Amino acid sequence: MAAAIETKQLTKSYKSRIQGNISVVDSLDLVVEEGEIFGFLGPNGAGKTTTIKMLLGIIYPTSGEGYILGKEIGDMDVHKLISYLPERPYYYDYMTGPELLKFYGSLFGINDTARFDSLLERVNLHRDKDKPISKYSKGMMQRIGLAQSLLNDPKLLFLDEPTSGFDPIARREIRDLILSFRDEGRTVFVTSHELEEVERICDRVCIINRGKIVRQGRLSELLKGTRTEIEILGSSVPAVITNIQGVTTRPLADGFLLDVPEIVSVNDVVDATRGAGVTITKIEPRKLRLEDLYEQAVGNNPGPIGDPGLKKTITVEEETTA
Amino acid sequence: MNMKNNTSALKPILIGVAAACFAGQAFLQSQFIFPKWKQDFSPGRGKMVANGLSPDQMLFALTGFREMVAGILWVRADSFFDSGNYDAILPIIRLVTILDPRQIDVYATGMWHIGYNFTDEEQRSDRRYIPSALALGKEGCRSNPETYEMFFETGWMWYHKIDDDYSNAVKWFEEAQKRPDMLPARKNLLSNAYERNGQVDKSLDTLFSLYDSARKTFGEDKSVFGNRQNRDTLERKLDTTLVRMGQRGWFASKEGRPLTGYDVNPPFDVNFSCKVSVVDRRVLKFEGTWGVKPVGTRIRAVLKDADYPNAEPAGMLWDSSNDVNLDPPRDKTFMQEQLFVKNTRFNKKVDMSKDPTMYPFSGDKYVLELYYNARSAPPHIQDKFGWNGEGMTDKNWLNTEIRPGQRVIYATLPITKDMILRRGEWRDKVPVVKTSNFKEDTSKSYNSGDSFVIDLPALRSDDRKQ
Amino acid sequence: MRAIVSIATTTVGEAIRRRVLLIILLIGVLFLAVAPGLGVLSARSETTVLRGMMLGVIQLTSAVIAIVLTVYMLPNEIERRTIYTILSKPVMRWQFLIGKYLGSILALGLMMLLMTAVMVFFFWWQQNRDFSAVPDLLKAPVMYFIQMSLLAAVAVFFSTFVAPLVNFFLSGGLYLLGSLFNPFFQTLQESQQTPPVAKAFAWVINTALPNFANYNIQNPIINPGQTIANEGAYYFQVTVYGVLYIGILLVAGIWVFDRREV
Repeated sequence: MAAAIETKQLTKSYKSRIQGNISVVDSLDLVVEEGEIFGFLGPNGAGKTTTIKMLLGIIYPTSGEGYILGKEIGDMDVHKLISYLPERPYYYDYMTGPELLKFYGSLFGINDTARFDSLLERVNLHRDKDKPISKYSKGMMQRIGLAQSLLNDPKLLFLDEPTSGFDPIARREIRDLILSFRDEGRTVFVTSHELEEVERICDRVCIINRGKIVRQGRLSELLKGTRTEIEILGSSVPAVITNIQGVTTRPLADGFLLDVPEIVSVNDVVDATRGAGVTITKIEPRKLRLEDLYEQAVGNNPGPIGDPGLKKTITVEEETTA
Repeated sequence: MNMKNNTSALKPILIGVAAACFAGQAFLQSQFIFPKWKQDFSPGRGKMVANGLSPDQMLFALTGFREMVAGILWVRADSFFDSGNYDAILPIIRLVTILDPRQIDVYATGMWHIGYNFTDEEQRSDRRYIPSALALGKEGCRSNPETYEMFFETGWMWYHKIDDDYSNAVKWFEEAQKRPDMLPARKNLLSNAYERNGQVDKSLDTLFSLYDSARKTFGEDKSVFGNRQNRDTLERKLDTTLVRMGQRGWFASKEGRPLTGYDVNPPFDVNFSCKVSVVDRRVLKFEGTWGVKPVGTRIRAVLKDADYPNAEPAGMLWDSSNDVNLDPPRDKTFMQEQLFVKNTRFNKKVDMSKDPTMYPFSGDKYVLELYYNARSAPPHIQDKFGWNGEGMTDKNWLNTEIRPGQRVIYATLPITKDMILRRGEWRDKVPVVKTSNFKEDTSKSYNSGDSFVIDLPALRSDDRKQ
Repeated sequence: MRAIVSIATTTVGEAIRRRVLLIILLIGVLFLAVAPGLGVLSARSETTVLRGMMLGVIQLTSAVIAIVLTVYMLPNEIERRTIYTILSKPVMRWQFLIGKYLGSILALGLMMLLMTAVMVFFFWWQQNRDFSAVPDLLKAPVMYFIQMSLLAAVAVFFSTFVAPLVNFFLSGGLYLLGSLFNPFFQTLQESQQTPPVAKAFAWVINTALPNFANYNIQNPIINPGQTIANEGAYYFQVTVYGVLYIGILLVAGIWVFDRREV
């Protein structure tokens, strides 16, 4: 399948007086296939928005290459086939929904009132046609944003934090919309902090930290394996347990939760726990979640770009597709 | 088509376009626009500032809004006129004329204000300001050369206020006449100025020319009352002038005929004498004789510093500067008064004690000047004295030098500061200065200068022969 | 072209709804309404004061509007991220910049038109319902519009690389300098005391900087009765000058904006 997005060593650097050259995005090798929903994850300041801006041609890469739908980034012909919904969008608030769509439509040469109406209906704003955008709720803003992103019947959509700050019902509505985009054969490039949502809708994900890709691949592959959760009582975790590499602990109301990855023997942990005289109240195997992957990938160093504090190098696992 | 590449490809073209535009605008600006702006739209019309105004003074003026600021300031000045705060108006006049030298009204009002409004308690003008008024008028003429108004106003200042050197009045009125927008009614004044200046023939020529023009205008539109009025006025003026010229022997002398008894010969001895007493501190009493019985003589009395700058006999060099300086010589004194003659005598008290700012008396030595010029006399007196004083004489005080071509009466009396201020040796005695021929008037008859009864001579009385 | 027109139209819509601009416009209109009263206070110079005041108000208000309108135009778009939804469409940066500029001068023109209408009304009323002097009066606002379009171009150019507050002072300062320089240059030229080097330097600045004083043609309107030869030719020349200089500024702005990280 052709790649909707492909980058080769895409880099964006800025000069800093104190730290010299800072790579906000560092040698990004990204592949997004057509027709999939691709999740682009990372902590704040990891370089997600910078990457999107480069892909949209809003800012210019320092080095490397990028291709959208087979054409170099910045190509105006490609812009006719893509769309973008920014995080916390702002629109000309004196306009109504139809007027806004008319404005954006005019940038494509589209002046089809029936089309605008059907888009409004699709995003459930058809009953608020006469309302100015200044009176829109947050959810309505996002929906009108989605409507404008569909104006040109795009092949590729960039959605930056589309569900951020919404209630569960609104999130579901947007999630269903995004899924429908895929059903229509569109490619969706999503950034989000809502890992649960990403896990539900994305086919493939990429996690970046400090401008570098730390994980990339199909979710089903990345989330293979299980973890085991062991609940113990006590006011502290014995050293014999914390010394086991890969085991993470989390405090609970009356004890702790030990999170044991697949690579660590559960029996060893149980033996060590019992050996330390600690009471075990529950042992539960579970599937690997995206949250686990994220934590693993980002680890304890989700620092901002340019922060020299990253001590651990996390290797990138390449996806091997069938 | 890649956006970035597209713009990059266009960059040489963009640079070329920008360079061409830059060259184009620079050429337009330097060769066409600026010279034209300077000539037609700059408020100074080619002469942005008065002579001597420096660039930093120019910077002070706000630029594109100068006319607006000038307007606001002038409105402010109006309120000072109403409240009588005349000193505050002066800097506003200067500023407004700098900001917008095209505002003729400000120049004209400013001239009038400076020349007429600064007076003492007895309504005598502060003549120290007159050079400034004239300088303002001249600047107004330079800034507005195409209109008659400022030339007329400057001429008027000479004609009416200074009332002495009529050749300057003639000069400015002539300039005003050259401008096409001069009001017809004002053109008559040039003939008056010629007459006052002793250029009677030119006055007559002007009158004839104006009369012909008035008749033509009246002929074109008889319904306009002003046309008729102008024609009639000029006709009357022409008649009067011709009669006077005959009466005063002008025609006779031109044609070599003997002069009759109604003319200026023989010259009449005016028998002028004067005594000035300092009756109180800064209060002078002028008394004296003037042998002319018909009412209408005003003798000019001037008191000024002996070293007054640019002094001239019975006056000063009024036209001494082209620079507008609204600050007169505040340490100098210049008092001018008219002494009205009744029953061949005059008697006037001049009180300068209430105006120490106008009469500072800083110096030690002063001069009193008594002056009479037939050029300023009313017509019935001029009928005898003539335009140049040919019919007037005085065995003691006739002077033919201080005003070339004219016979005037002129006497000077030195006086000191101590005398005027009644201090030192003059504390307890009345300082008196007088002409050598002055005799005290011991008679208490109604013929004295104090009397309210004025003795009018008969028209053909033997009293004509003194 | 279509994108430029759309962006321009939207810019006008936004501008005429910006409260700060409407307040400035209202203040200008109020001053215009008050101006006849000031004229009456000055007997003898009533019409002169009225004309000077009204034209001055229009010019001053328009200058403030032009600067306030344009210094925030681009930074607002970037801060609110509306620029992203536009540049992600098939709209080139230069189209966006030109569209914003044209929209701003169109909005400015509408505001100046309103002020001019108010001026004409009050002037006509004060002149005892006599319309004869009005056409002469209208020349000034037309020239002011070109002047303000040039000023707007200056501000748009600066807005491509400086912050709004700095831009405000830069544009305002350049406007003052450009208004000052014609008379200042004239004085230097005519003064005997100015050294040749200073005269040459002044000539360079007078030629290089945008010259706003060229459009200050109000003096013969305020003090009528002056004959000006080839008046139409002058207006044509300064219009061409304005177009050329605006072209320079927009080209420079496009150049800078093209490289700018948004």
